[in-house]
Amino acid sequence: MRRIKFIIMSMALLFAMTAGAQTITSVHGTLSDDMGPLMGATVCEIDGNGRIINSAITDLNGNFTMKVKNPKDKIRFSYVGLKTQTLPINKTTYNLTLSSATQIKEVVVKSKKRATGNGLPIPEREISSATQTISTKEFEGLGITSIDEALQGRIAGLDIISNSGNLGSGSTMRLRGASSLSSLTDSNPLIVVDGNIREVNLDGFDMAGANDEKFAELLNINPEDIASITVLKDAAATAVYGSQGGNGVIELTTKRGVRGKPKVTYSLKLTGTYQPEGYDLLSGDDYTMMLKEAYFNPRQDDNASDKERIPEINYLDDTDNFTEWRQYRDNTDWRDAVTQWGLRQNHYVTISGGGEKANFRIGAGYDHEKGTMIEQVLNRFSTRVNLDYTVSERIRVSTNFSLTYTKNDQNSDDLLSIALKKMPNLSIYEKDPVTGENTDSYYTVLQLTEAEKAARGGDVFAGDQRNYVNPVASAYLAKKQHRSYDMNPELIINYNLLGLDEDHWQLSWRGSVYMNIANHYNDSFYPQELVSKKWEDKVNLSGASSSKSVSFNTKHTLTLTPAFTNKDHSLMMMGRFELTSGNSSSQSTDGYGLPSSGGVIVSPSAGGLISGMSSGYSQWRSMYYTFSMHYAFKGRYVIDATLRADGTTKFGPDSRWGYFPSVSAKWIISDEPWMQWAKPTLSMLAIRPSWGRVGNQPSQNYLYTSKYGSTTRYIDMAAMKPLNIRLSDLKWQRVTSYNLGLDIHFFDEKLNLTIEGYQSTTTDMLMGGFRIPSNTGFTTVPYHNNGKMRNTGWEFHINTNQLVKAGKFTMDMNVNFGNNRNEILEMDPYILENKNSVYGYANGETLTRVQLHNPFGAIYGFKYLGVYQYNYNTVKNAVEGMTKDEIYAWWREFTAQGKTAPVAVNADGDIVLEGNNVPKRMMYDYRSDDTGHDGSFPGFNGGDAIYADLNNDGQINALDITYLGSSLPKLTGGFGFTFSYGAWRLSTQFTYRVGNKIINKARLSAEAMTGNDNQSQAVNYRWRQEGDVTVIPRAMNGNTNFNTLISDRFVEDGSYLRMSYAQLNYSINKKHLTWIGLNRISFYGSVNNPFVLTKYSGVDPDIAFGGESPAIDWAQTPRSRSFTLGVTVDF
Amino acid sequence: MKIMKKNYYHIICAICVICGFSSCADFLEIKPQSEIILEDFWNEKADVDNVVAGCYSLLQDDGVRRRMMIWGEARSENVMANGVAINGDVDLHNILKENITAMNKYTTWNGFYDVINRCNTVLKYAPEVAAKDPAYTTGDLNATIAEVTALRSLCYFYLIRAFRDVPFSREAFTDDNQTMDLPATPFGTVLDYLIEDLEAVQDGAVKRYPESENGSSDKDRYQTGRITQDAIHAMLCELYLWKGDYDNCIRYADLVIKSKQDMEEEKEQRRRSSAETKALVKLRLGDYPLVYDNLTSTTFGEAYSEIFATGSSKETVFELSYDKSPSQSGLPANSAVVSLYGGSTRTPLLVGSKYLKEDIEATSQRTVYEDANKKLDARMYTNCDATSDAPRIRKMASSRISINASTSSPKADYNTYADNNNSSSWIFYRLPDIMLMKAEALCEKMRSTNEETTAEEDSIIAAYNKPLLEKAFELANVVNKRSICKKDLTGADTLQFANYASKDLMTKFVKRERQRELMYEGKRWFDLVRYSLRAGNTDEVIEAVGHREDVNKGFVQNFFKKMDAIFWPYNIDEMKVNRNLVPNPSFSSGENSSYEKTN
Repeated sequence: MRRIKFIIMSMALLFAMTAGAQTITSVHGTLSDDMGPLMGATVCEIDGNGRIINSAITDLNGNFTMKVKNPKDKIRFSYVGLKTQTLPINKTTYNLTLSSATQIKEVVVKSKKRATGNGLPIPEREISSATQTISTKEFEGLGITSIDEALQGRIAGLDIISNSGNLGSGSTMRLRGASSLSSLTDSNPLIVVDGNIREVNLDGFDMAGANDEKFAELLNINPEDIASITVLKDAAATAVYGSQGGNGVIELTTKRGVRGKPKVTYSLKLTGTYQPEGYDLLSGDDYTMMLKEAYFNPRQDDNASDKERIPEINYLDDTDNFTEWRQYRDNTDWRDAVTQWGLRQNHYVTISGGGEKANFRIGAGYDHEKGTMIEQVLNRFSTRVNLDYTVSERIRVSTNFSLTYTKNDQNSDDLLSIALKKMPNLSIYEKDPVTGENTDSYYTVLQLTEAEKAARGGDVFAGDQRNYVNPVASAYLAKKQHRSYDMNPELIINYNLLGLDEDHWQLSWRGSVYMNIANHYNDSFYPQELVSKKWEDKVNLSGASSSKSVSFNTKHTLTLTPAFTNKDHSLMMMGRFELTSGNSSSQSTDGYGLPSSGGVIVSPSAGGLISGMSSGYSQWRSMYYTFSMHYAFKGRYVIDATLRADGTTKFGPDSRWGYFPSVSAKWIISDEPWMQWAKPTLSMLAIRPSWGRVGNQPSQNYLYTSKYGSTTRYIDMAAMKPLNIRLSDLKWQRVTSYNLGLDIHFFDEKLNLTIEGYQSTTTDMLMGGFRIPSNTGFTTVPYHNNGKMRNTGWEFHINTNQLVKAGKFTMDMNVNFGNNRNEILEMDPYILENKNSVYGYANGETLTRVQLHNPFGAIYGFKYLGVYQYNYNTVKNAVEGMTKDEIYAWWREFTAQGKTAPVAVNADGDIVLEGNNVPKRMMYDYRSDDTGHDGSFPGFNGGDAIYADLNNDGQINALDITYLGSSLPKLTGGFGFTFSYGAWRLSTQFTYRVGNKIINKARLSAEAMTGNDNQSQAVNYRWRQEGDVTVIPRAMNGNTNFNTLISDRFVEDGSYLRMSYAQLNYSINKKHLTWIGLNRISFYGSVNNPFVLTKYSGVDPDIAFGGESPAIDWAQTPRSRSFTLGVTVDF
Repeated sequence: MKIMKKNYYHIICAICVICGFSSCADFLEIKPQSEIILEDFWNEKADVDNVVAGCYSLLQDDGVRRRMMIWGEARSENVMANGVAINGDVDLHNILKENITAMNKYTTWNGFYDVINRCNTVLKYAPEVAAKDPAYTTGDLNATIAEVTALRSLCYFYLIRAFRDVPFSREAFTDDNQTMDLPATPFGTVLDYLIEDLEAVQDGAVKRYPESENGSSDKDRYQTGRITQDAIHAMLCELYLWKGDYDNCIRYADLVIKSKQDMEEEKEQRRRSSAETKALVKLRLGDYPLVYDNLTSTTFGEAYSEIFATGSSKETVFELSYDKSPSQSGLPANSAVVSLYGGSTRTPLLVGSKYLKEDIEATSQRTVYEDANKKLDARMYTNCDATSDAPRIRKMASSRISINASTSSPKADYNTYADNNNSSSWIFYRLPDIMLMKAEALCEKMRSTNEETTAEEDSIIAAYNKPLLEKAFELANVVNKRSICKKDLTGADTLQFANYASKDLMTKFVKRERQRELMYEGKRWFDLVRYSLRAGNTDEVIEAVGHREDVNKGFVQNFFKKMDAIFWPYNIDEMKVNRNLVPNPSFSSGENSSYEKTN
């Protein structure tokens, strides 16, 4: 009824208008809905581009008046919740009743989900390259501080290993294996945030060592801000990044505001962390006992460790003329003293919302983190503002701004490693010499005077214990603070130049300007109290340094989407120009001799002496052109092509530009008419072949020119020197890769399975630090193109979409695994030889071998067979006077009892006799050429390690070294399950690595017993006297033993299965909350890294391997374990 | 379609903007801010001077200096390891044990070649500067050429003395497409090249650097701290001595001595010493302008502080001059000396050998010091003090040495340099060195008698030898007399010619004088090498190394049979990148070896 009335009225008005055919300069009228007049409704004049020219708002009675600029424009009426009406301006009076938008019938909007990265907005179904996307919804509420933690075990082919458990340290990431051998080109994947690459200057940095800096960018992004993560794996996917994406790309998309009422969300996470303990350490009593044996054994000298020589381990009293006797009678657990329960608080508030014109999302977070090592504190404030403003249908302006401020109070010393080494009979606090009670000052080991050293006949602790700082004192007294500000403003304009829908040709221009401003400050102070040095030897050290880096990037993209009348064809093309320039500068000042005690004055400029000042400046520029197209026929035959040209300042004029093409295709077989029978069981079956080439550039500038720099003065003459050999023919490193992917989706996308196989070949490898003959005056050139290597592998991942659904119960899972194998195909023999270290016959020395047609990371060493039970002389004396046959018989009987002694045996196991039927002693790297080589080692003896004499030559030397395994895992991956029941949700995630070996150097040094460092309790099982059957050799101080060579004793299987997290989530139903004005409360609790199933004996089998050297556990701070409780509230 | 048209306009604009950016091809040309690139360098005299200074300062680099000391001294009988301190440097310990392999870090030579390359770079570009900068005259250019040629020759001379045959190049290495893996040029050829080069440039060299009025300017150190014509003559003197061309050796020695005498005369005209002093000096030093102690008191040894600690002494021909208070100026200290010879708290790695100490303590049958000198040879204290508890190589580790010789057993007193403040000069050539080289050449010119010569021939030979013997004795005796710690020298205190009046005795005396005078100055091992090359056998090396405590005697006999063994092996890393180097057969690579292989 109402509608008819309205139509009649409109008709009437229409007639009225035609009657007065004159120029309309203003309009007026009344707006109402079915409840009555509308107050605050919007009336606006819009032009052909959809831009708003003029607007008015209705008053209390729904009346409006508005001037009209151009009668050819249109007039639009809108009100929240009601249907918007657009009418031509052909009358002066508009009396409208707007109908409710909620009254319209349910409509099905068929929109295709599109890729959001830096390339073309291709419908997800038509993506033909190897990518994998994860929505961060899955991580919500986890006790993670950065995205890399969350990604571990989630992406097939992405191997992530955390560098250490210290606050603010990053991870090592390898996507489909390392593409280069060089440590100077970074092998980590490129991190892209909202299409932007954060450029910080790394000139002159060792890239492999710059992980902390590199990963600051991940740490600077609050996980709460991230909407989704896409990992681009093959060259076809990364081609739009050209040379920057040579190691794969991780694209992060941040959350943006959505239309609707402003929504305020607050989340709080409380996380308790602790460190898993490694091996048990010796107590003070065990330690002194071990040291005494260690000093006795090499020379069998009872006085080697007596109270005159080493009073520190003899539990003296005040009668012994050792003034420090009280300090060396303790049983200190240094590790316990420096570790603690850490607590992390993460607060985050977001406000998001939007209307017809503008959307916004503002987030701000504050994190406060106390580390698991004492006195480590990290404070971080981060904020991100994303605004979108729709100027018109054609023009949209967006601006993003993010700021992160981090203050990281670090430890000056590596407390854990010192705590593991420091002598446990020492006390933390200085004992009162009279009462023996702890005083309130820390105890620092005193240095010996020359006279004291002479009286003792040398100082056994000089190289170690005397230099170890008191770690507790260091934590509390020294200062090391890092502060950083990171700002990223960005402005984007989108302009649709032609049609607005798929029926017209569309051409859009997107222009953006992005800046990255990063400032870093480091301040440190190392007080006198921590060292027992004299004032003249430079104490009260302080340092202050700062660096700032500004980079500017602008991108201009034109995207053309033609409209074909034949809807079978679809085509998109994109051309982009990108320009980057930046510069950075740094300065630092170091001082000493500050007039400070108690750490009041800590700045190097505060009256001390300046020991060093330096400053640096660098700049970089690059230019990129990208062309890319996407064509699909009938939505099931897809072809993509990209060509990118990179220009960089790092090469000379001849090879300044690198060109990186890629092609990929996809055939969705399941969409073929003849496959319709398989639907809906088989909802998608597609194959995706791709080929592409990406590149890599060196990390340094000015390599192609001769440089002169200043050097040390001579007399009063300023001095300069040539700095380099000019690289006349430096080229891009190129990576050519093939990928074949298979997508199989079942049951209407309930179960999705992807299989990928790839092969990528790196040619013209940029080898850093290339050794040249030094008769040129230089030992290395920074880069050299040489060698060829290949990564081959496959990946598999499954994810599900409500796989099991029964009533309120649903279950989902994700599984992935991947395998990568690398092989060196070609390399200059000079380089190969240089990469292969020469064996120096020292304890703990690892051998690096890089061989053609082999993967790197291979571990070589001796075979370990236990400990010799009996001394050489025992055997020699026992067989004295026997005939040859008697000796053979005696030896057979001896070995039959399972006894061992250090004599040479031949391949048959018979004892080798020399001269007058004397058994030949087992030697180590022995030579008869009188070069005096190693005359101090008499040969192995009881209690020494037994190494397999593989060639039975009666001595252990480099020829007995054998292959012990590979550092590369056979399989890496992860899996996880999510269960939900109504408002409850439980999700779990596991990661694993299978088949890799690790050299446990941490254990090696904890069981070596060659120095004065504290050892693990395992050494209590050491060989002490003849006949002892054990696997731990005797304690031997000094270098006259070879009991800790790299052998399979220390090479361990690094396979593990780790539970990354388990999380339980509960949301309170909205209807119970409305009375307190809340929309949502959800609670969650999670455990992170609760257990690792592994045979590895070290603290954590998560050991990074880099480049060509094997994976070695150096006893880094292990990844901590944690418990998180959190709450999220929506207002 | 008006809208469309407008849009096309936009597109064109956008394309123009984009192309506008790319049209500036210069965008990708950037220049470093803290360094200068070749295209902007070599324009003026200062550029040349700066790189020349860079050659000198690299010679002061710890690695280079350490090798000068270790190559020249560590294998000789002058030194031994200092107790447990040597554990701080395993490679040095292995050298002292004669367990040298190609892996030993002291077999690397890159610092020397770096200096050589800098010199070659100057030689390449300095003529271009002369063409551009009118302030840089031909005279300046010739002086520069002489200076860097001399420095280059000095480095090569070190290298051939240590390694015998080494890669030789007069071309600068600037690009990576140059041939780098040069084969080694034979010892003799390099020696000839060096002589040829220095003969050619000697006339262009600076004769005298200007002196300041009050003598307190840093520039006053140029005369000894930079290459002068005297320095080139001194080098030629030594090169000819190695070559065995004794007439030329003597000729250049005389040029240096004459020049020093002239300089002393000029100074004397200004100084106007009393006739009494002149007489005392004349008595001790003849006409040779050596540094002498205060001859009217009983304190001695200060001459050596003046030569090494004060530096720029009148007898010095060429030295590396260190800043006088490096700990404050931040300029390099003589850290190689501190680490090898000791500092105020730093325990030295090397000390005087047991053999030497026993020699000092002996009162007769001495083999290094002369019996006749009794305890009065100042060098018994200034080299290494056998009586001291904290052994330091005093000559360079001390900023002040004074020997109180008021009683018959002198007592020495030292101030040791602080660990970070050693500024003792590293002297390449000083007058006693030149004098003793001349004496050595004179000895070599002598003819020897043997059983086959007739008495008549013997007398002819004796007559021929006599002036040579006297001249050689005079030279060596002046050096000896300077270090006698006695106020009023009587004939009984000095050495008598009669005791050395044959070629053999004189030669040995000159060699001994050379050993004790230049002890720890990085000369001894090179002298032994020279003696061996001259004799064609290694007897003297075997004898010298035989005195060492820490080396197996049987091994020495065996090992040093071959001449190769007195040189050093090429470093393994060098051989890995330069296949044209033939490894020294006396040394193992240090790499994998098998018991079976060596048997």
